[in-house]
Amino acid sequence: MTCLGIALIALGFFIWKQVPEKSAFWTSAGIWLVFTIGLIFTLLMPSFNNNWSYASADDLGHYHVQYTDNPKHPGVWGYTPSQEHGRLIYQREGCVYCHTQQVRPLEGEMRLYSVGTSLAIPADEREYVYDTPHFLGTRRIGPDLSRVGGKYSNDWHYSHFYYPRQMVPESIMPAFTWLFVQKGDAPPVPTQDCKDLVAYVQTLGFGRQIYDGTTHQWRSWLKPEDQQGSQERSETAVNRVVPIKNGKLWLAHPVHGGDQVSPTNLVPPSQ
Amino acid sequence: MQPSGSAQPDKVVHEDVSVKWALWAGLFYLCVFGVFGVITAIKFMVPDLFWSIDYMSWSRIRPVHVQGMIFGWLVPCDIALFYYMIPRLCGVKLHSEKVGIVATILWTAGVLLATFCILNPVETTNLLWMTKGKEYEEYPPVANAMMFVAWALIVYNILATFAKRRYKQMYAALWYAMGCLLWTAFVFVIGNWPGQLIASSTGWDASFKGMNDANINWFYGHSLVGLIATPAGLAVAYYFLPKAANAPLYSHKLSLIGFWTLGAIYIWNGAHHMIYGPIPYWLQTTATIFSFLLFIPVFAVITNFFGTIRGEWHQLRTNVALKFIMAGTVFYLLVCIQGPTQALRALNAITHFTDWVIGHAHMALFGTFTFFAYAGVYYAIPRVYKKPLYSEGMAEWHFWLSFIGFILFSVALWVGGFMQGMQWQDPDHYSFVQTVTFMKPFWHVRAAGGVMMLIGMFLFTFNIYKTATVPAPVDTESNPALTDASGVAAAS
Repeated sequence: MTCLGIALIALGFFIWKQVPEKSAFWTSAGIWLVFTIGLIFTLLMPSFNNNWSYASADDLGHYHVQYTDNPKHPGVWGYTPSQEHGRLIYQREGCVYCHTQQVRPLEGEMRLYSVGTSLAIPADEREYVYDTPHFLGTRRIGPDLSRVGGKYSNDWHYSHFYYPRQMVPESIMPAFTWLFVQKGDAPPVPTQDCKDLVAYVQTLGFGRQIYDGTTHQWRSWLKPEDQQGSQERSETAVNRVVPIKNGKLWLAHPVHGGDQVSPTNLVPPSQ
Repeated sequence: MQPSGSAQPDKVVHEDVSVKWALWAGLFYLCVFGVFGVITAIKFMVPDLFWSIDYMSWSRIRPVHVQGMIFGWLVPCDIALFYYMIPRLCGVKLHSEKVGIVATILWTAGVLLATFCILNPVETTNLLWMTKGKEYEEYPPVANAMMFVAWALIVYNILATFAKRRYKQMYAALWYAMGCLLWTAFVFVIGNWPGQLIASSTGWDASFKGMNDANINWFYGHSLVGLIATPAGLAVAYYFLPKAANAPLYSHKLSLIGFWTLGAIYIWNGAHHMIYGPIPYWLQTTATIFSFLLFIPVFAVITNFFGTIRGEWHQLRTNVALKFIMAGTVFYLLVCIQGPTQALRALNAITHFTDWVIGHAHMALFGTFTFFAYAGVYYAIPRVYKKPLYSEGMAEWHFWLSFIGFILFSVALWVGGFMQGMQWQDPDHYSFVQTVTFMKPFWHVRAAGGVMMLIGMFLFTFNIYKTATVPAPVDTESNPALTDASGVAAAS
């Protein structure tokens, strides 16, 4: 290490003597060179990581639910066409500016996003191999979403998107009323965009498995009893909403999508 | 060559038409995207503002504000100042004023189109026309193409000016300007590579998904500040600080060290945006180490600037351009102490994902580089129009509103953000939504600071507008103070 250090200093001194002060050409060449070196080490080298690509990652089934019904991707794929369209809505509406999709390996954080006794496990790079664009996020104005799949019922999500403050009074999330159709006094009905968005949100972390050291088996991080309890609580919350009319639109109204998700039909397809 | 030291008679008559075009584009967008910024801040307290208007949704106007301030205001303004200072440093006229005008029109149209696409009132999910959905990369491919052509024209125009230069020795501001021009071109193409578009139309996509996508995103996000805004802002400051203070640059060698270490180190920092994230540990640690190495270029610049102003501090009382440059220098020092320390795992665990980072980012892009740009405009524009500044008093108000507004803004976010970060690590006492409620007072202070900054922007734009349009008083028409190297105060 000492030799390396001395060599680096010597190299630095040598380069220093060569620094082009008067030549626009050599200045440009130097500008290009320092850029390329950084590029190779920070973009190219990390990309050889097997776990960064679905083409080379091992044990993907434990990290992402594999759907077989996407005609664009024969075999298995991480998203159904509906979920993929939901990603586009997530992208268009800019959900990523307030919600991260990564639980860091910090105790407080893992417990904050836990459901019942199911501890929210930290993010793994293999969970993201199907994602373009990535939605890792940088700001938690709202909570992290990477472990939210299966936590709430679809109707809770519809009601929450329609008017977030009817589900969480202190929330500052925008109301996404344009994802709903409302005629006259009839309750709001989610559009296909909205249904796809919820279909995507329900995949987040859903079916992500952990290796259980006591049973020597892989199991879903979200225990079935925690999932059921959480969904029942969210259904109760939807049914408690009192409709309020605001001009022509409902300000608050429970929204039912007709695609009631119960804990039994949220079981991921065969792994 | 130091810009103020050499008293060579400048026989070249600079037309400065390109300066004016790029400047007015920048000023227009400064006001527009400043308003968007304040709406963004107010929506934290009034989430139902513009309720049910899709294109005024918080999550759509937020990228419009951030991208618009960088590509709509900061880049055109810095380019306007390049058009001013590079011909003067090279001793020749700008290669082509026509190319300069075309580049500004194309760039400005690109920003306008991109803003429309992000606001997306037509609800499209066509990948050519919608946001790319990644922070700092939002501008859609069509707008990227327009802006890239504009940038190629700008680079061609300025390099052609370089090629004809009469002074062999290149002053520090020229290296930084060249760095900005070339790095921006590289970074812009890599960062805005339409991977999603290619993936959806060809299926050739494995390499642009997941963590690769995130890594490219943060390479770009960090380089946007480090290799576009920083060299541009420092080029401006390296030129206008000695000019406005009428003092020689402290050290030429130091600026050389600063420039080359900046170029060699900044690009390695992207991964520090994903500390504790799902990326390999070595990549995080590398980014942390290189974040600390950034102390070298930063202290080179800080030492140089404080050395230059040594003995000239009294000028700050009357010289608004100097006020902005030196306040910007202090903020540059602070932001570059914050940056590396935030990259430490222990601190990052608390501050990551909180409003702390918003305060930090604004200190770089507003507190430092926008302040440098303000200073450059206050110095250059009276000389471009050959008239004194319309109102020194208004410029004073602009400075103090920006300065105090920014302090309120950022301190509220740092204190609130840090405390919220602590609360997230204590789930026994705080649910998530309780920490949101806790932040509300801080968001009020932030919005108040933001409004002050916005009023400053309006005063600034009005002042420059009046400077350009009000006829010059007869006795100052041929005032030599406007063409020599003394400060703005001396000009009026």
